[in-house]
Amino acid sequence: MILQTTILPEQATEMAWHVDNLFWFITVVTTVVSLGVYAAVFGFCVVYRRKPDEEVQTPRILGSHKLELIWSILPLGIFLVMFAWGAWVYNMAMHAPDDVPEMYVVGKQWMWKVQYPGGQRVILGANSGDYKDDIGGEAKFEGVMVLAVNKPVKVIVTSEDVIHDFGIPAFRSKLDAVPGRYTTTWYKPTKTGEYHVFCDQYCGTNHSLMVGKVRVVEQAEYDAWLEGTYKTGPGKNAVDGSLAHQGRQLFMKLNCIQCHNTENPRAPILEEVFKSKRAFKGGTAGFADENYLRESIRKPRAKIREGWEPIMPAYGTEGANALSEDDLVKVIAYIKSLRKGETPVLNQNWVPPIGSNTGPAADEPQPTPPSAGGMK
Amino acid sequence: MSTELGHTKSGASLDHHDSHPQADADHGHHPSYLHDGYGWRSWLFTVDHKRIGIMYLVAIIGFFFVGGMLAGLVRFNLVSPTGALLDNDQYNKVFTAHGVVMLFFVLIPAVPGVMGNFFVPIMIGAKDMAFPKLNIASWYVWMLGAIFAVTALMTGGIDTGWTLYPPYSSRSSHSNVVPGAMGVFISGFSSIMTGLNIIVTVHRMRAPGMTWGRLPLFIWAQYATSLIQLLGTPVLAIALTLLMVETATGWTGNPVGIFDPALGGDPLLFQHLFWFYSHPAVYIMILPGMGVVSEILTCFSRKNVFGYQAIAWSSVGIAVVGFIVWAHHMFVAGISYYAALLFSLLSMLVAVPSAIKVFNWTATLYRGSITFQAPMVFSLGFMVLFTIGGVTGLFLATLGTDIHLHDTYFVVAHFHFVMVGGMVLAFMAALHFWWPKMTGVMYSDFWSRLAAIVICLGYFLTFMPQFYLGYHGMPRRYPNYPPEMRVFNVLSTAGYTVQLAGFLMTATYLALSIFFGKKAGPNPWGATGLEWAIPSPPITHNFEHTPKVVAGPYEYSLNLTQTGEKADVR
Repeated sequence: MILQTTILPEQATEMAWHVDNLFWFITVVTTVVSLGVYAAVFGFCVVYRRKPDEEVQTPRILGSHKLELIWSILPLGIFLVMFAWGAWVYNMAMHAPDDVPEMYVVGKQWMWKVQYPGGQRVILGANSGDYKDDIGGEAKFEGVMVLAVNKPVKVIVTSEDVIHDFGIPAFRSKLDAVPGRYTTTWYKPTKTGEYHVFCDQYCGTNHSLMVGKVRVVEQAEYDAWLEGTYKTGPGKNAVDGSLAHQGRQLFMKLNCIQCHNTENPRAPILEEVFKSKRAFKGGTAGFADENYLRESIRKPRAKIREGWEPIMPAYGTEGANALSEDDLVKVIAYIKSLRKGETPVLNQNWVPPIGSNTGPAADEPQPTPPSAGGMK
Repeated sequence: MSTELGHTKSGASLDHHDSHPQADADHGHHPSYLHDGYGWRSWLFTVDHKRIGIMYLVAIIGFFFVGGMLAGLVRFNLVSPTGALLDNDQYNKVFTAHGVVMLFFVLIPAVPGVMGNFFVPIMIGAKDMAFPKLNIASWYVWMLGAIFAVTALMTGGIDTGWTLYPPYSSRSSHSNVVPGAMGVFISGFSSIMTGLNIIVTVHRMRAPGMTWGRLPLFIWAQYATSLIQLLGTPVLAIALTLLMVETATGWTGNPVGIFDPALGGDPLLFQHLFWFYSHPAVYIMILPGMGVVSEILTCFSRKNVFGYQAIAWSSVGIAVVGFIVWAHHMFVAGISYYAALLFSLLSMLVAVPSAIKVFNWTATLYRGSITFQAPMVFSLGFMVLFTIGGVTGLFLATLGTDIHLHDTYFVVAHFHFVMVGGMVLAFMAALHFWWPKMTGVMYSDFWSRLAAIVICLGYFLTFMPQFYLGYHGMPRRYPNYPPEMRVFNVLSTAGYTVQLAGFLMTATYLALSIFFGKKAGPNPWGATGLEWAIPSPPITHNFEHTPKVVAGPYEYSLNLTQTGEKADVR
């Protein structure tokens, strides 16, 4: 629509269409009402202005219960329509369809690390000391995140330090990246093109440089990009093992397997734990979502499974058992992928699974066979 | 048409001429409050609510100038997509200083501190506030807070934004967060003192016959505001204390984790506590302005206010419901889905009383005899701009659109329409309405009308383009931005210069009026309130004799003041 492209920003997702419709509804209703009020104010000011030499005499009008009721209830009714429509759109934005591939976005002053299900990573933002030279024009937009058109994708967002916000105006989407918890949304891009990615929550000196682009491409281009044969420009798209695969490496390296195994279990088996109901000591129960898995690793004593002892060490952000947000994401992706009978054999030698087309990137932890000595 | 509370007996009291002749200044043995002592001691140690009001006014004009200059730095930096003036760090500190100064040292104390202190006792027929010493204490406490905050802002600055969100503010920022937060913390006590004082004054000090149903709507608005100040401000104090604890213990190397998740804290806890105060604080800022507009619209259209009870109770309704909408600032911050639904619904409810007020004001103009002096022009500007501010709030209370608009320039434009187009215009209206009463002199009619029009047009030009920028996704607090957004940023900055011209005009003719202005007389507008029944400027204890109130506040169609005098316009 002409209107859309000139007055509103591009609509690149279904959600953009829904948000814009709601926006137009509220705009039209409020404009009509406001102009009505303005017309009345203006009209009264003209008609009832004091004319020179006119006797100042006004009628003693005190009010009208009928009018008060009308202009209380009518606006309330209109507001409730806005609320209901808004809730419907919000519901769509917050709840991804089932079985949608998942991406993780980790914010950090002042960059975004985007991790694809296949393990590809893209860095958005300007976390370099030379950013000042890059300000201006397009040069500051470092890194491009690539999505396939018409393919829905779920996005799980967190932060390594302070609160950020992952916003894409063309998708009409925005979500705070809160340290210590995961927030989720999803996109279904419907239009190829390149769009802005902004950090929308103030996060310090270079908040305005924590920006990048998202490029929506055809499926074939997307597949080529995933395999590393299609370059997006300044962004890196190092291709390595999938997230779950890297998580499995960590699972072995961090000796999780020493307790979470099937031969000699000292902790719950993690197969199909994701989205299951969990019974806890003390008679409470919970639902195993990403935040539960996160808490069980960061603060394992917070909720103890019924029938097990609290023996697991906490994997915080510092100290001997340090686990970065990047790595935590991988471990959780692995746990989520575990199906019946897929728990590794205890003390088996680690073998790279088939299907990873390159080795792990240099900055990734190298796989090491677990020592036989149990927990450190 | 119904008969309203408090107005019922007034028709019968036309012949009620036995009340005391308060308006007769020349016969008074008492000097005006301005001439009751001249040295600096007579001001700094005063307990006269009127002098305290003037002290607030002087300080607030100073802070408004500083905050306005900071706004200029922000706007002029944004004429270029790469930032024209400041580097990122400087910009962050400038917009933070602008927010802190404007909110805590201009908008929150402006009308309660100046007009509340000066006129609440007079308008209810009292000699002073209930607690005069607490009143002067509130000014000193506020200045102490200001010294902390201004020192923090000038010796290195604060780069967190006025919202001070942790863990950035407590763990990551290396700026003066603790002294700045301490300044706001201290000035909060001043707000509590003023609120408490006004509540007690309205309850205990009303003149005989001044029933609740005869209170001017400005008093109702001030009363509702004071409730929020009293109940909300302690929660801000809690949030700031916890923030200071987490920040200061961080310096020792043994940080106490309250908000930082790396230390076991919860960052959303701060946001809940902060907005529990800071959303109602929006109503601290706007409610007194609504009271002012109710006074002025009736006076300059010579009409009884339409729907007295509706306007009075909508003030109280805003104060109460305003306390349960805070999490609409957090729809995309990771709160639960159901919490978001609830707070969106409640936010819709708080929009209703504001709408009621606008409709009633409009109806007040109907069949009036309207004149357009500066206070009226400012008030009509308030109605137009506040309506835009109000309806754009609906876009943000609606969940679906808030996802897109949150933390963009749409939000910036929305709250500036409410705060600046609403509150600052109402303050200007109040200043022009009561200036002859406070100083005893009249300002230039022509220049004041012109300035009012220029300021309103300037606001419109400054903030309308920001709605467009916001819908196109320009985030708040960006010193640089994609080049395609430049045109609307330049328009906005142009609007700033128009406003600046308007305010400089106002400063000039008001200053000139003090030296060269014509004497105003006790009742230049022919208004009906008690404050117009005494000389301009008033004597120290306001009334020679305690007035006896016989009528409702807005008997313009009967030409009747609240004491039963004639209130002729000429």
